[in-house]
Amino acid sequence: MMKITRKRFLFITLFTLLLCQYSIAQSEALTSSPYSLYGLGIINQTSIGKSNALGYTGIARKTATEINNLNPANYALIPQNSFFYDIGVTGELNNYSNRAYNEKKANVNFSNLAFAFRISEGLGAGISMVPYSDVGYTLVGIQSNIEGSTETFESSVTGLGSLSDLKFNMGYSISNKIRFGLTASFLFGNIEENESFSLSTSSLSLTETTNYNGVRFGLGAQYDVNDKISIGSTVQLPTSLNASLDRSVTKIINSTTEIEVETNENDSASNFDLPLEFGFGLHANLTKSVAFSADYKKNFWDATNQSELAGTYADQDIFGFGFEYIKNKESFKFADRINYRLGYNYDNGYLKVNNQKVDGYNITAGIGLPVSLHSNSIINFSYSYGSKGRIDNVLIKENYHLFTLNMSLEDLWFRQRKIN
Amino acid sequence: MTYKVRLLGLLVFIGLAVSCSTDSYNTSDFIAGDAFTSSNIRVVLVDTMTVEVSTIKFDSINTGSSSRVLIGQYVDPIFGTVRSANYSGFLPNSYYISTDAKYDSIVLFLKYDGYYYNDTTKTNSIQVKRLIENFNPDEDDYFYNTSTVASNDEIIGTLSYSPRPQSTDSLQIKLSDNLGIEFFNNLQNKVITNTAEFTSKFKGLSIQPGNEDNGSVIGFEKSTSTFFMRLYYSTAEETDIVQSYTDISLNSTDSPNPFFNQISAENPISYLQELTNGEMSLSSSKSNNQSYIQSGTGYATTIELPYLKTIKNIGGQGTLLKAALKIKPVLGSYNDFLMLRDYLTVYQVDSNNDITQQLNATDGSALSALLNTANQEYNDVFYEISLTSYIENILTTDLNSNNTLLLIPENYSATVDRFILNGTNNTNYKTVLELTYAVYDENN
Repeated sequence: MMKITRKRFLFITLFTLLLCQYSIAQSEALTSSPYSLYGLGIINQTSIGKSNALGYTGIARKTATEINNLNPANYALIPQNSFFYDIGVTGELNNYSNRAYNEKKANVNFSNLAFAFRISEGLGAGISMVPYSDVGYTLVGIQSNIEGSTETFESSVTGLGSLSDLKFNMGYSISNKIRFGLTASFLFGNIEENESFSLSTSSLSLTETTNYNGVRFGLGAQYDVNDKISIGSTVQLPTSLNASLDRSVTKIINSTTEIEVETNENDSASNFDLPLEFGFGLHANLTKSVAFSADYKKNFWDATNQSELAGTYADQDIFGFGFEYIKNKESFKFADRINYRLGYNYDNGYLKVNNQKVDGYNITAGIGLPVSLHSNSIINFSYSYGSKGRIDNVLIKENYHLFTLNMSLEDLWFRQRKIN
Repeated sequence: MTYKVRLLGLLVFIGLAVSCSTDSYNTSDFIAGDAFTSSNIRVVLVDTMTVEVSTIKFDSINTGSSSRVLIGQYVDPIFGTVRSANYSGFLPNSYYISTDAKYDSIVLFLKYDGYYYNDTTKTNSIQVKRLIENFNPDEDDYFYNTSTVASNDEIIGTLSYSPRPQSTDSLQIKLSDNLGIEFFNNLQNKVITNTAEFTSKFKGLSIQPGNEDNGSVIGFEKSTSTFFMRLYYSTAEETDIVQSYTDISLNSTDSPNPFFNQISAENPISYLQELTNGEMSLSSSKSNNQSYIQSGTGYATTIELPYLKTIKNIGGQGTLLKAALKIKPVLGSYNDFLMLRDYLTVYQVDSNNDITQQLNATDGSALSALLNTANQEYNDVFYEISLTSYIENILTTDLNSNNTLLLIPENYSATVDRFILNGTNNTNYKTVLELTYAVYDENN
């Protein structure tokens, strides 16, 4: 029992740490993408556990050995006495360029925390905290005309912030083959945007912090066609995130006199609408060692009728597939138990800039290192190479390397140790 | 094995968490391009706001505390005959002269202080007269440019000279021996032994330019060591004759000092003759679209900004970034003789044209209208005043306050510098207020 207490203590400590990280203003961005300027930022694709290496797929993946956060129906399969938890860290190396410029940025941060447990026979639940979206950009040299003159001014914009998704999941098995799930997501966070410029002896800095919060509900289902093949589907209901804005304006006149024009003035901000989202998945155990999964998601952004300064939101399609190879799960040899994963994901984008969709793809790879033979704990590493946007026209192209580390751990509760 | 892996995992985890991001997110040189995003802030330059420019004339200028002796006369095309004469009282440095001494002569010394206005190639003349009245200040304890003290008609000293204002020499004007002998005898015979006895017998001098002079106005030092009469006398010793002297210097002991420059401008253009008292304002629209400034005589230019609150008509929520007033001297009104100065000082006046305060820049130094001659070759010469702080203060405190600014040169009481400025109606040369305003929220 000593061991369990220690682990739980560690878990609680980390959970507190992560909450602090989320609640105290984040000083470091989780992303550094110019595209995070738009909307709520870059919508996070990374998930929990192994799916990060499988092209972010897993709607139909039936698993009783870890958390599958992509479909709440799967929570029904948590075995008795098992307590799963997952702690994740991501690192991003982003290289973005347009015709004239090129820049590199790197970020590392906590990304998620989740746990799941069984409530009763066929009923499981879990709570997860994952980033919903991330904002982190700095753009300089934005030229604008000074009205009433032929002169221009040049401003810089920076953005920093994130929205978190605190998700309550519940899954229930109706029969051996059919499972349903429910999620309630509490989305919250803030995005701080700053614009500043100088004009001869004066300068102005405008900082707007927009706080968002809202609740979103989702449904999930999984159906086992046979022993080897499962299919699944998810629905995220549309919702509107309430926004409120705090604005601070500081200026400097005569080179030295700093004046607070506004300090944390509250102002209205338009709410942000999240679309109806559908997801379909297929999972198949091709052989004893090889598993295949494929997902398709459609997000109906058109219906939200939202637009940005530079573009509009448009329906989005995401395709992904992944393979996993495990030589022998039950082997006593550690090397045989290592998981090898490969995946691919294509996203045609939800934003049309200059009538051109900002699409992107990811190639993912990863390994899973089991911690012991006696538990399902596993340490998952993934690497993803992604590219987004095109240089033609005025768009920016990003090439990024994304690393994730997930400690997907299982604790066994209320089970008498065999040797004591 | 398993513990090793777990330990390794934790170490990697902690390492990653601690190291965090290597690059600061807000250092960037990335120019995204205008189509990718644009500014959320509107910046508007407003230069059409009406400015009222007027001329006023102070009833009098305190020249008693002026820093120089100002003497000369010239004829100005706008201001008429500009004339400055000096009135001063004197005291001897010593009341003792040996009974063996014999009177020689008496000479008035005036030392150039570098100031001049108008044409110094012309010959100036100086006439010295003896005052016959005490220095009696008017109602208060000051002497003004309009003050006067009666003098004898008799000219007791005269000099014609070509001014060399940059010279370190002094002008020397030989005075009448009658005056010299009177001083000498009174001192030698101990008729005068103290200040009171001296000033009761000798009121002072009036030092005037020639009535027909049309040259320049020259500044001389106001100092007991350089502005004095020197009484020369000699004493016969055993073998030779030894010359010595007693200086009778500017009286800086009495309060108020018996000293002032009487400065006037006779027969100016007709517009200026309308200004008969200090509370009157002559709008530039009624004076050939010009406004006027002249030191010493009391002409000054005022600027009103009555429409500042219209800045709110731009709409949205915004703030002032910069405000500059540009006012142009009338082309042809200045030249190498009638020169512009590098700056004018800025005061605030009330509705009676009384000065309430001097405007300061943010660093506490005096706010100035700076002469910009960068485009002089294109005849684009103007004075620019940075009014950012001043207008910021009005916009954020009292939009309805109606403060008037006053422009005058430095040493307003000790020079005869004059300026002719454009008003607000000349399309090309008009006085403009340039406001740079940033709108950060389009909604009111």
